[in-house]
Amino acid sequence: MMTPSAYAWTEGETLAQHFESRGVSRRDFVKFCSEIAVALGLGIAAGPRIARALESVKRPSVIWLQLQECTGCVESVLRTADPTIGDLLLDLISLDYNHTLMAGAGAAVERAKQSAMAANKGKYVLVVTGSIPTKEGGIYTVVGGRTAEDLVKEAAEGAAAILAVGACAHWGSVQAARPNPTGAVGVRDIIKNRPIVNIAGCPPIGDVITATIVHYLTFGRLPAVDREGRPLFAYRERIHDQCSRRAHFDAGQFVESFDDDSARKGWCLYSVGCKGPATFSPCPIFQWNTRTNWPIGAGHPCIGCTEPNFWDTMTPFYGRLPNVGGFPVEQRVDTIGAALAIGAAAGVAAHAAATVFTQIRRRKATHQVPETGPETENDDG
Amino acid sequence: MTAPGGAATGRRRINLFGLGRPLSRERGNFTWVYLWSAPIRATHWIAAACVVVLIVTGFYIGRPYFMTSGEASAHFLMGRVRFIHFTAAAVLIMAGIVRVYWLFAGNQFERLPALFPVTPKNVHNMLRTAGAYLTFRPDKQPSLVGHDPLQQYAYTGLYFMALVMVVTGSTMYGQSNPGGIIFRAFAWVPLLLGGLQRVRLLHHVLAWAFIIYVVIHVYFTIRSDYVERVGRVSSIITGGRYISTDEPYEDYDINQVPAHQWPTPEHPNPKKEA
Repeated sequence: MMTPSAYAWTEGETLAQHFESRGVSRRDFVKFCSEIAVALGLGIAAGPRIARALESVKRPSVIWLQLQECTGCVESVLRTADPTIGDLLLDLISLDYNHTLMAGAGAAVERAKQSAMAANKGKYVLVVTGSIPTKEGGIYTVVGGRTAEDLVKEAAEGAAAILAVGACAHWGSVQAARPNPTGAVGVRDIIKNRPIVNIAGCPPIGDVITATIVHYLTFGRLPAVDREGRPLFAYRERIHDQCSRRAHFDAGQFVESFDDDSARKGWCLYSVGCKGPATFSPCPIFQWNTRTNWPIGAGHPCIGCTEPNFWDTMTPFYGRLPNVGGFPVEQRVDTIGAALAIGAAAGVAAHAAATVFTQIRRRKATHQVPETGPETENDDG
Repeated sequence: MTAPGGAATGRRRINLFGLGRPLSRERGNFTWVYLWSAPIRATHWIAAACVVVLIVTGFYIGRPYFMTSGEASAHFLMGRVRFIHFTAAAVLIMAGIVRVYWLFAGNQFERLPALFPVTPKNVHNMLRTAGAYLTFRPDKQPSLVGHDPLQQYAYTGLYFMALVMVVTGSTMYGQSNPGGIIFRAFAWVPLLLGGLQRVRLLHHVLAWAFIIYVVIHVYFTIRSDYVERVGRVSSIITGGRYISTDEPYEDYDINQVPAHQWPTPEHPNPKKEA
C-alpha cells in the first residue's frame, strides 16, 4: 500500500535509477509501461517509448488537494490494477501532499506543501478531489483555517496542469445536486486559466488516473479530451456499446426486477434503469479492483456517474426516464401522457357527440321547407 | 339548382346521425378545385405511416413490453425494432426534405407564407374557428378554400414537433458512434437540454404529443367532412375538394378568377402562370 517510502526519491535521481534502488525489475517496469500504453489506446508498441520517457523522469511533484468529498476517489486510486508499480508511481508522485496518505499532520505538512509548491512552481501537477463550496464565503470546507476556494486558487497558481479527479472536482457531484445547499462547484468553475482534465466518475477508475499521469509524464501534456474534458482514451465510448450484457439488449432479453429469473440469467439491465446508453465510461473494459468486476457485471444498473449533473439528470436510478417534476405526486411521463391521450379521446368523443346533436337539430329545423321544392337553406354548413 | 339525388330522396335514405345525407352540392353550384399537389399528398401518407411505425417501435425501445427467451445469440428482437425505428425515421426525414422543397415550389396553399397566417385578419379567423368549434356553429367558421388559420397553426406546429423529434432522435442515434458526423452535428443538443436523459425525456414526451395530435387531427378532419361535406378527407387522397361557386372566399377570389384559371392537377398554380 501507499505509505511514505523508506527509499526517498532523491533530487536528481531518475525514475529508472529509483526503481532499481527499490528492487523493481526491468521486466516488471516494461510490463507496466506496456499495460499503460494499451490503456491509453496507443497500442502495445508504444510501451518502450513510454518506458524510455518515464525512465528519464526526474522526481515529479504532485500536490493532491482533498476538499469537500468522501475520500472515495483516493480509495479507488489505491486499487489501481497493477499492485506494485501503479501504487509505487502514485506513492512517488503524491508524496508532497495528500491528506489521507501523508504521515505528517498539522502545521508541519502545510509548511511542507508551501515549500514543495514554491520549489516546483510552474512544474507540479495539481490533483483535486472534492468540490468547492461557495456559499457563506466557503465556510463548509476549511483546511488549516483556509477555505477550499482559497486553497485551490493558491495551488492552481503554480500548477502546470490540473487533474480534476472524480465527479465532485468536475461539477460538484452529490453536494451540487439540487438544491445544492453549500453552493458546491467544480474546479473548472473557479480556475479558468490552467489546463484541466476531468477524470470523471464517482469514483473514477484508478487506472484512468494512473494512465493520465503517465501520459503527462511521457508526453509533457495532458491527453486529448472530449467536450466534458474527459480523456478520450478512456471516455470515448458509451458503456452501452462496450457492455458484456449488450447481446441480451439486442436480443430483447431484459431484467424486470432484481429477483426475477432474468436477473439470475444475467440479462440486460435496461428496464431496471441502466444509464449505460447515456454514459461514456471505460468501466466495462478497465473494470474495478484489479479487474475483478464492475457494477453491471455484479447485476446493478449503471447510474451514469461519469456524466455531469448525474444526481439530477440520471435519477431515478432504477427507472428509464427522469421523473416529471412540478406535480404534487411524482408522476412518470407515461402516466401523464396516457392520461392526456385518454383525455383527448374523451374530449373528442364529447365534441363529436355535441356536433352530431347540434347538426341533427339544425337539419331538422332547416328541413321544415316543403320537401318537393328546391332547397332554400343557406346555412353554409 | 338541385343536384341529382336531392333533398326529397335523400331524406328517405338510411340516416345514421346524418351520415347518409346527400352531399351538399344540392345546396348550390359546386366545383372541384385542386389544392394539394402530388408531393404533398405523398409526403402526408408516407409521414403518417412512418409516425405509426415510429410510435409502435419507439414505445418498445422506451419500455420493452415483450421479451425473447433462450440464448441471446438466437434472437435480435430489440436490434430489429431499433432498425425499423431508425429506417422509418430516415424515411420521415426524406419526406420532410421533400416538404421543405415544396415550401418553395408548391402552389399558394402549400408555399412557405401559407404556413404562417399571422395577419390580424388571420388571427381573427383563428378565433372565429375556435369559437365555431366551441359553440358547435359550423356556419360561423370563416369561408376559406385552404386551411383555416387554427388548422394551419396545428399543422405548422406539427412540423416543428417533428423537427424536435428528428433532432432529439438523431442525437441519441449518434451516441453509438462517438466522434462521428451525427454525434458531432448534434453535440449541442445534450448541452442545451442538460444531459442525454433530458433528450430522451423530451423525445418520449413528444411521442405522446404525437398520439394526442393524431386523435384530434383525425377527429377534426372527419368532423369537417360530416359537417361541411366538401370532401376534405378525400382531398388528401385525390388532391382536391368541392367549393361553392356561390359564396365568396377570403383566400381565393372565385369571382375574379375565371373558371379556366382555377387550380387543376395539370395547372396547380394558374395564377402564377398568368
